[in-house]
Amino acid sequence: MEKIYYPQVGETLYKEKLPCGLQIAILPRPGFTKKLCYLVTDYGAIHTAFTLEGEKITAPGGVAHYLEHKLFDMPGRDITGEFAALGAVPNAFTSYDMTAYYFSCTENFRENLALLMEFVMTPYFTEESVAKEQGIIGQEIGMNEDSPENVLFETLVKTMYDSHPIRTPILGTRESIAQITPEVLSTCHQAFYRPDNMLLCVIGDVDAELVRDMAQEMMEKLPCPKVESVRSWDEEMKAQTPYVKVNMEVAMPMFQLGFKCEPLPNGAEGVHQEIVGDLAAEALFGESSPLYLKLYEQGLIDASFGGGFETVEGMAMLTATGDSEDPEAVRDAILQEAKRLGETGITEEDFLRMKRSALGRRIRGLDSFESTCFRICAYHFSKFDYFEIPESYRLVTKEHLQEFLQRVVTEGRMCMAVVAPKEVN
Amino acid sequence: MLKILQVSPGVTLRCFFDDRFKQEGLSLQLVRPMCKQEAAMNALLPAVLLRGCKSAPDLRAITQRLDDLYGAAVGAQVRRVGDYQTTGLSCSFMKDRYALEGDQVFDPMMAFLQEMFLSPLTRDGAFCEEFVESEKRNLLSAIAAQRNDKRAYAAQQMIARMCKADSFGIPRLGEKEDVETITAQSLYDHYQKILRESPAHIFYVGPAEPETVAEKLAPMFAGLDRKTVTLPPQTGFYDQGGCDETEVMDVAQGKLCMGFATPVTLRDEGFVATQLFNTIFGGGMISKLFMKVREEMSLCYDIGSSYHGSKGIITVSAGIDNNMDKSVRQEILRQLEACQRGEFTPQELEAAKQALLSQLKSTHDSPGAIEGYYATAALSGLPLTPEEYIREVEQATAEDVAAAAKQVKPHTVYFLKGDV
Repeated sequence: MEKIYYPQVGETLYKEKLPCGLQIAILPRPGFTKKLCYLVTDYGAIHTAFTLEGEKITAPGGVAHYLEHKLFDMPGRDITGEFAALGAVPNAFTSYDMTAYYFSCTENFRENLALLMEFVMTPYFTEESVAKEQGIIGQEIGMNEDSPENVLFETLVKTMYDSHPIRTPILGTRESIAQITPEVLSTCHQAFYRPDNMLLCVIGDVDAELVRDMAQEMMEKLPCPKVESVRSWDEEMKAQTPYVKVNMEVAMPMFQLGFKCEPLPNGAEGVHQEIVGDLAAEALFGESSPLYLKLYEQGLIDASFGGGFETVEGMAMLTATGDSEDPEAVRDAILQEAKRLGETGITEEDFLRMKRSALGRRIRGLDSFESTCFRICAYHFSKFDYFEIPESYRLVTKEHLQEFLQRVVTEGRMCMAVVAPKEVN
Repeated sequence: MLKILQVSPGVTLRCFFDDRFKQEGLSLQLVRPMCKQEAAMNALLPAVLLRGCKSAPDLRAITQRLDDLYGAAVGAQVRRVGDYQTTGLSCSFMKDRYALEGDQVFDPMMAFLQEMFLSPLTRDGAFCEEFVESEKRNLLSAIAAQRNDKRAYAAQQMIARMCKADSFGIPRLGEKEDVETITAQSLYDHYQKILRESPAHIFYVGPAEPETVAEKLAPMFAGLDRKTVTLPPQTGFYDQGGCDETEVMDVAQGKLCMGFATPVTLRDEGFVATQLFNTIFGGGMISKLFMKVREEMSLCYDIGSSYHGSKGIITVSAGIDNNMDKSVRQEILRQLEACQRGEFTPQELEAAKQALLSQLKSTHDSPGAIEGYYATAALSGLPLTPEEYIREVEQATAEDVAAAAKQVKPHTVYFLKGDV
């Protein structure tokens, strides 16, 4: 197994690609009681178009999330109960471009790990249980429809993007999930839950060799069919519709601004662009920016305001969101400030301070098992080693930020979604 | 290891030594009895302190200072702990050893935190009016925004009705009309008063020696003419009768909330058994409520229960179809009765024990969890260390749990019903 020490962050990582294709990453945490284990697949809500052994398939929206729910079913068994008896809490989530299954425990690590790999790699779908799930996910969709944050984000991306599948909610729609059958789920499981599309990541005081041997034994006989999935989409950088508004039961208008950015390449170059986007957002409207102070003191934004650079496979955007009585004024101020910063640039002093702060926060973040495990996995699928990030920060200059602001934060790339209170008659 | 030092009269420093983390944390809390007259002021105060101090007079200057300290974070901390409300600041910051050579974080952080806490920007013996007014707007919109999260909103409405005569019914952030009447002067006077008379609790987690931390913080309260007022003891739930109400709102999914009362608080024998009862009843994905009401009967999307041990209150909250409330509440009561008759399997009990044990055993794996456990236990009166708590969980029997369940009585129902 490869053992890598990263002196800048004080971490040691064990890595290996097993003969079955599965990648493993183990971050030892000597002296800690908790163990956290993620089994993730490079497959999320946006991967609905693919070929499996040459056959072209288009799956209904929401299938990755549906599959995540249904994988917990095993013939005659109660997986959650089995984990519980072993003192672990299993859980899972589906994002736009990744699905993760995980547990944390203090005891019985071995048994829990075996159970995690077993249930994720064992598809078992019956007509009855798949039909029943429609009701449960239908309720989940209902809950999302009541959540203003969710409606805001989904309205924004649906308006902003023309072809990227982020336009479809992760949960799908009531219509799309109605098309999901046991066959659809089996096909998607076969295509994306192959060892060579997955990563096993463990954080805690565990024996790395043991994890490797167990994973190899459980996974070696599993098939890896040939799959090609659509992972890039033609998308103009111009936002077609600049403004969209919906009314809901909210106390104050909520807004989210998005500026379309070019999708990120894999590897260090992608991470470089991500850091540039993050720092540019910080310089433009972060808490240390002149604009933030001004808008806050004018009462145009409040503590709910925030934003940053968001990426999903095949898309990226700079975004800002918050509550405001006058979202249009916030939008105009951001555009104006971007223009000014694009012209004058950022001082070296401010720039270095922002970098130091961002890096310090990343280092502090390593104390969280959950966020560290998530980051190792997410960066792994974009072909980057997360602990190399201090070096990526070092290579970013203030000129990169200036160029980014000039190119991206413009009216042509912008869309704003607003969720406003229902008008009283 | 936890060490407790008395820095000065009424000022308690708790230090938890731990060198495994990349960051250190410090929280500083003034402890007040929870009461309607000052809940809003206590909620507002830290936000105003975070707006500016002598050497960093605005938000931007504060953020820049924190950025220089490698992205240290300082936040307002306002907690409800039983009958008490705490108000203060908490910070977390990177350890010196990860900083560039020659840079320090710990010392300047201690100094800056003290300055923010004790030397806010003032004008004519009051806080700056524009800071107070803008933070009032923030607090008012936070209070208004509680309507946006329908589940939390419904839970809060239920608690307000159930605890109409108990401090637990007072909203943690205060109420709209109380926020509106606060002025820069009234808040400053309140601040001066609570600085002088409130017990102060400081919690540190990290690698520094307790004596070092105490020495850094000693100047803090030295200049104040303090006369600490003793807090009244924590009390159990004060019951003035329940009710059953339905409110109609334009939402897709209904939210049903039920409140239950028990005489057993975390200060009493039987606390651990009640905690186990709650876990079996509705505390997670293997509980009776989740497995029976959601998984088997498909009566709801989500359901769960919480035990507020400082008060002896158990709340159940469920997201349901708007016309299902009768069946759901019947089923919830049926599951409670099953627990009271001891109708849970050895596996259910064991799973509940494992869930609690796992949580307790990992208390020491994050700085936030360490602070959360020890700082709260000290105020709520929980007499157990995590180790003692673990032992009690391991020793609890099915009879203990059934006996604890028998003490639990239905009290109040609130249903937020969709208008569709």
